[in-house]
Amino acid sequence: MRAGEARLGKKRHHWIVRTTHWVNVVAIIIMVGSGLRIFNAYPAFARKGEMFCCYPFEHKAIPAWLTFGGWLGGARHWHFAMMWALVNGLVYLTFIYLHGDWRDLVPRKGDIRDSWQMVKFYTFRRKDHPHQGKHNALQKAAYFLLPIFGALAVVTGIAIWKPVQLAPLTSVFGGYVWARYWHFIAMLAIVILSVVHVFMVFAVDPYSIPSMITGNYNERNSPESRNARPFYHLLPRNMSIDFRIRRRRV
Amino acid sequence: MNTRKFASINGLDRRDFLIQGSGLVSAALLAACNSRGPKSANKLLNYAERKNLIVERKLFRHTSMDVVQSGAHEAGNKLPSYFIAPTVPVWDESARGKWALEVSGLVGNPVRLSLDDLQKLPQVSNRVNHYCVEGWTAVETWTGVPFTELARLVRVDPQAQFVDFQSFDDDYHESWDIESAMHKQTVVAYGLDGKMLEPAHGAPARVYSPIKLGYKNTKYLTKIVFMPKMNGGYWSDQGYEWYGGT
Repeated sequence: MRAGEARLGKKRHHWIVRTTHWVNVVAIIIMVGSGLRIFNAYPAFARKGEMFCCYPFEHKAIPAWLTFGGWLGGARHWHFAMMWALVNGLVYLTFIYLHGDWRDLVPRKGDIRDSWQMVKFYTFRRKDHPHQGKHNALQKAAYFLLPIFGALAVVTGIAIWKPVQLAPLTSVFGGYVWARYWHFIAMLAIVILSVVHVFMVFAVDPYSIPSMITGNYNERNSPESRNARPFYHLLPRNMSIDFRIRRRRV
Repeated sequence: MNTRKFASINGLDRRDFLIQGSGLVSAALLAACNSRGPKSANKLLNYAERKNLIVERKLFRHTSMDVVQSGAHEAGNKLPSYFIAPTVPVWDESARGKWALEVSGLVGNPVRLSLDDLQKLPQVSNRVNHYCVEGWTAVETWTGVPFTELARLVRVDPQAQFVDFQSFDDDYHESWDIESAMHKQTVVAYGLDGKMLEPAHGAPARVYSPIKLGYKNTKYLTKIVFMPKMNGGYWSDQGYEWYGGT
């Protein structure tokens, strides 16, 4: 059996992975939206009477349509209620550790070379889709980084929630002002990874959407067997041939 | 009724239906954005706040101290000034007589303390952070009476579990859990950055503690009342968390 080939009866995603994935979607949307509404109460990082070096948009509010919660107090309630949904992340990580799925995600020797080959393929400097396992090298990097930024967001979040009671934690991140900054950066990284992820799902592998609901995935539809780049070869190979024949007959 | 019939009755074919349908869905999503979220969620949010309160009170340690980062500058006149009255609240001696702070409630020895009396009590100066609910912080030095000294003076009844800090800034008040009030860094402050407190920041006296968010630190104090039950507060009653601890 080749790597990446689905064994009969084995689902591509375990039900725990599928459930935690969709809980995560809701949690991330609400946490980011309410977090940005909280941020808008003071859309800057500088301590009063100081300047802040490393944020180019000090005192510029985030557009209201990107925020959630309606007002500062409401957004804080959503943020502090939904933070418990992030336990979901812990369930996911524990599961993939126990179930062995982590092997599909941890970086290995050769991943950088494989990532470069994916970049070359996506930019039309390589003809064939590089051979891959469950995920291609770029995907692997994204799915490996997401939990890391998630953990950073959680830990920095706790640090700015209780900067006095958990002062040692807050000081690990350079004090309250910097912990708040790293919390923002972690959010930004999660948003960027998620947006690219959703874009690539629709542009390269829409067949993975049902697989994240039912767990089933037909390897015939994988990007590798379709030789799919963003918006290229979206249909399975045989199907596109069918179309050509039919068109000729008409 | 088959789909085609249904579609033709409504003057829609499938493509129009998909376009208009997705338009409606995205309009609904946009309308939900920047809203307070569904009303039905309020129950869940209140439940979460009650549970978070338990967690927060469990996390509380009298030994946890706020420490100002080395190299941090004092905010000085950059410290924002907030009050709820339309103008800066100033104690009007001609109308209300001399200002005094009443410390009462579940205590053995209720007292009324003038500003002079307060200054004669043991004094501390704490250089600490101010944590605003909005997300900003400011470093200031607050001078005043440690709250524990006041508690000792009035002999607090063990049944007192909460403390209400009341002010003459309209009806502003905020009640605290007694543990937070008895924290070492909680002071009834009459001095800021080496000067007497100014009306902009709560003169003649205010409660100040880095272990509570700014809105819990009542300015323009008139009364400190020890209570068996919590008593809400100006901002807490409007929906901010009652605990507001850092």
